[in-house]
Amino acid sequence: MRLRDYLEIDFPLFFSAVLLTVFGILFIYSSGVSSSGELVSDEYRKQIIWALAGLVIALVLAMVNFRRIYDFSIYLYIGTLILLLYTCIFGRTVAGARAWLGVGNFGIQPSEFAKITTILFLARYLDSTRRDQHIIVRFVVSCLIVFAPTLIILAQPDFGTALVFVPVLIAMTFIGGITLRYVVFLSGFIVLTSVMLVLPLWQETILKGLVSAIMVLNNKWFILICVLALGAISLVAFYGYRKFGRRYFYWICYFGMMGILSLPASFLARKVLREYQIMRLIVFLDPNVDPRGSGWHIIQSMTAIGSGGFLGKGFLQGTQSHYRFLPTQSTDFIFSIFTEEWGLLGGLIVFLLFLIICLRLVRIVQTTNDSFGAYIASGLAAMYSFHFLINVGMAMGVMPITGIPLYFMSYGGSSLIAAMAGIGIALNIHIRRFNR
Amino acid sequence: MSSMFDGSEEKPLGRIRIFQIILCAVFFLYGVRLFNMQIVSGEQYRRRSYDISKRTTILPSRRGEIYDRAFTDPVVINEDSFAVSLTPAEVPGGEVPQIIARLAEILGLPRREIDEKVPRQYYYLYQPLEIAGNVSFETVAALSENADTLPGVSWQSKPVRNYGDIGSLSHIIGYVGNITRDELIQMYNQGYQQGDVIGKLGVEREYDAILRGKEGWETRTVDVRGRRISGENERVLPEMGKNLVLTIDKDIQLLAEKALGPRIGAAIVMKPNGEILAMVSYPWYDPNIFNSRNIAGEYQRLIDNPDKPFLNRAIQSSYPPASTFKILMTTGLLAENLINPEQRISCTGLIDYGQRNWRCWVHSGHGWVNLQQALAGSCDIYFWVAGRDHMGVDRIVSFARGFGYSRETGIDLPGEISGFMPSSQWKERVSHERWVAGDTMNMSIGQGFTLATPLQVSNMVATVINDGVGYRPHILKEVRDPVSGAVERTELPQVIHDMREKVSPEVFAAVRHNMRTVVTEGSSRSVPVRAVETAGKTGTAEVGLADRWHCWYTAYGPYNTDNHDEQIIVTVLVEASNPWDWWSPYASAIIFQGIFAGQSYEAAAASLGYLNLNPAQGGRRE
Repeated sequence: MRLRDYLEIDFPLFFSAVLLTVFGILFIYSSGVSSSGELVSDEYRKQIIWALAGLVIALVLAMVNFRRIYDFSIYLYIGTLILLLYTCIFGRTVAGARAWLGVGNFGIQPSEFAKITTILFLARYLDSTRRDQHIIVRFVVSCLIVFAPTLIILAQPDFGTALVFVPVLIAMTFIGGITLRYVVFLSGFIVLTSVMLVLPLWQETILKGLVSAIMVLNNKWFILICVLALGAISLVAFYGYRKFGRRYFYWICYFGMMGILSLPASFLARKVLREYQIMRLIVFLDPNVDPRGSGWHIIQSMTAIGSGGFLGKGFLQGTQSHYRFLPTQSTDFIFSIFTEEWGLLGGLIVFLLFLIICLRLVRIVQTTNDSFGAYIASGLAAMYSFHFLINVGMAMGVMPITGIPLYFMSYGGSSLIAAMAGIGIALNIHIRRFNR
Repeated sequence: MSSMFDGSEEKPLGRIRIFQIILCAVFFLYGVRLFNMQIVSGEQYRRRSYDISKRTTILPSRRGEIYDRAFTDPVVINEDSFAVSLTPAEVPGGEVPQIIARLAEILGLPRREIDEKVPRQYYYLYQPLEIAGNVSFETVAALSENADTLPGVSWQSKPVRNYGDIGSLSHIIGYVGNITRDELIQMYNQGYQQGDVIGKLGVEREYDAILRGKEGWETRTVDVRGRRISGENERVLPEMGKNLVLTIDKDIQLLAEKALGPRIGAAIVMKPNGEILAMVSYPWYDPNIFNSRNIAGEYQRLIDNPDKPFLNRAIQSSYPPASTFKILMTTGLLAENLINPEQRISCTGLIDYGQRNWRCWVHSGHGWVNLQQALAGSCDIYFWVAGRDHMGVDRIVSFARGFGYSRETGIDLPGEISGFMPSSQWKERVSHERWVAGDTMNMSIGQGFTLATPLQVSNMVATVINDGVGYRPHILKEVRDPVSGAVERTELPQVIHDMREKVSPEVFAAVRHNMRTVVTEGSSRSVPVRAVETAGKTGTAEVGLADRWHCWYTAYGPYNTDNHDEQIIVTVLVEASNPWDWWSPYASAIIFQGIFAGQSYEAAAASLGYLNLNPAQGGRRE
């Protein structure tokens, strides 16, 4: 560690993150001001402490020996898996999910750190198997590495956080050189599963009519028969592909497998997911289905954002937020209070800062000589952009409510420190990008 | 240690490019979305954000009070009372049923009643729904003590109309009630709203726009719990309703009410200039029942009553004017010189015309009578002959129209009817039969198809007193400011018919003289009035019953005076549905005596000797 290295820091990346954190603290303060103008929450103070801690961690991580990270990644990964399991059984329940570990007065959310450690370990695996492993094995093991923490988090249950692992997996295998059709297979499977998950409920609550083609998705015998039929078709196609080597046999088998996996998966998901979680997916399609319940959040948030105008209502002047119509303003809906008070101009600045972070990360992927570092950077880019996509999309009413935070800005120690740690690692890769 | 990329061919540059493009596209699309929300549809969201934090409350105006002409104590007053409302959307998450249960307990209402007013589909409504009216101050005090645990519950002062002991005035005053859906549809454009109180009958309805004043409103900013946030409250103060002073004299009303007694019918006391001093219609209803909880039941009971207590018989019911019509006949015969008033016609009690025997009510006959004697004795045969041979149907109809028959008088009460005056064309059109002389004969004595309201008959006498000018009868005297008491509007006499071009004052003087002889020597000489000289006319209308008739008496007094302002007209009608007691002349006499001697009903009746009078149940009289 030399002082000179600090001059090599990727300043756009670093300062974007710092600026977003400052915005976050400002508006966490704003969200703590009640309608009568009193400050009723000290969340902003805690956030300042975490921000400082995060900053230190980021700067330390930027300078540690990179090799240490590589070596440690497997222990970190296993450690977080154990921590997740422990949380899942003994953790504190907040907002319906057993996702918290109490450490004194502070609670930590291991799932936030699991994202980083999983990225690190997957990067190591992808890197170490780059030359000599069969591509299918490599893909399947990658999936397993990611699905292990995902499933534990799903069991907590924290649907939103679990969801973040999917784009991370896709992005890292994509950059990691896995054949495109496997990545597409994974994406197709997830899209198909979620469509079949929502369709029956969509029909019940919005369409309010019966479409028999959708009805059968609730019938386990239909699912079983479909799976068997698709299995048979796939088997025949597989045999045909082996025997005759025709491409179309391969594609029949490909899509057949996609159906075989997603049909029961959607059926199971409907049994596992809580009703309110599915209701959130429904109200995203039409918030007026339940304007005082699940739709309330979407309507209030969109009203807050829309009423902001170009310059906003001014700091501490938001009405939706200060009259408390906007729920969870310091965490899930920090972007809504921000744009209500700072308007389109502020919103676009935040967009720009996030875009800089993501593009700088992609730039690191592009420039670094270190493939391990490149995979990490691609995973981090996917993670930050996905959080942004879901959280801001939710606030603007174009994404379902999943309750995942907006990195750097949302109130919460674990997510802020995890985000900062990610930035620190990225800085480290950047500093060492020309090392051989 | 991790391995390095071996040169650029191993770096997935193409895939990185795709990654970059996806990122840029997402941020660009989100930027467009944000621009759309905040700039393109910004106005719509701003309005919604304004609406969501603004609550408008109506500040009710105070309904004007109603006084009689003395302007001392109001006849109708407002009594403190409250209405309790619930704004369902202000109740946090799904607690509406609990709140309703607590309200039912505090208000002492059955739960079902509140549930009906706040159905499930209203649970998201940001509009106060009235769940109980007529709530006492004590109950509201109990509510306000628990205000913290009753989010969304509010109350406003909603005074109840207390009509006190107004008796027969109910037909004039009317009553108020909550606006019905039909009324709302009709009157929405006049600014009426759901939940408004509106006059339903009588003066309350006729002058609703003046009485109600104008509601004010207050807009306040609230937070999500419905708590008021200080500052920037806009308010428009309500305008108080104006007070009304009626032409009615409470004492005369009571006198007339008692004089008519429990007889189905009507009594009117008015001035020649159209001011109504008293108007009684029996039976009447008690408007205070509309403040009770069981409005529907009480209302139905009144509707089902065969005596129709809602009917104001003075203006909403018409009867054959019978012999009172002979005043009009006399005027017509004299005005157009159709008969020499001294020419005598023989009344033998019976004439034979058109294969029918026409009997005078005095079966033995009046003998030879001239016009004056015919009116005094109410000789039917004289007027049959005069009407048939001298005047003719068209002239009779023309004079009847001149006196205002078959037209509403235009009195300021809702629901007045016009009565009916036939004509030869009408009969041919309706029954395809020719008008025959027999029809004219019937018409000449106020029978047949002719129908008139007691008010029309009364106004005919007023026209005679006014030498041919008829004024619009009215109930309203003045509109006064509720605070200062200053007169804002005075009702002036308004001419509705004028016969001065056709009929000279001398003719009316002769008619008045003949009417005076009815009292001095004619059909009502047995019912004198001590306190004042009166002139009048009896009437007994055939309704097809053998032993009962509609009994009319219309009179005015003093007979001769230089001071027209002291003259009054009294018209009494007792329906044939009562046991026959020829009461109208007696009722009229008691009213005149009471007014001009300044006596109460009891004193007036006693001084005339009519207090415990049981007039002969005997046969027909005029």
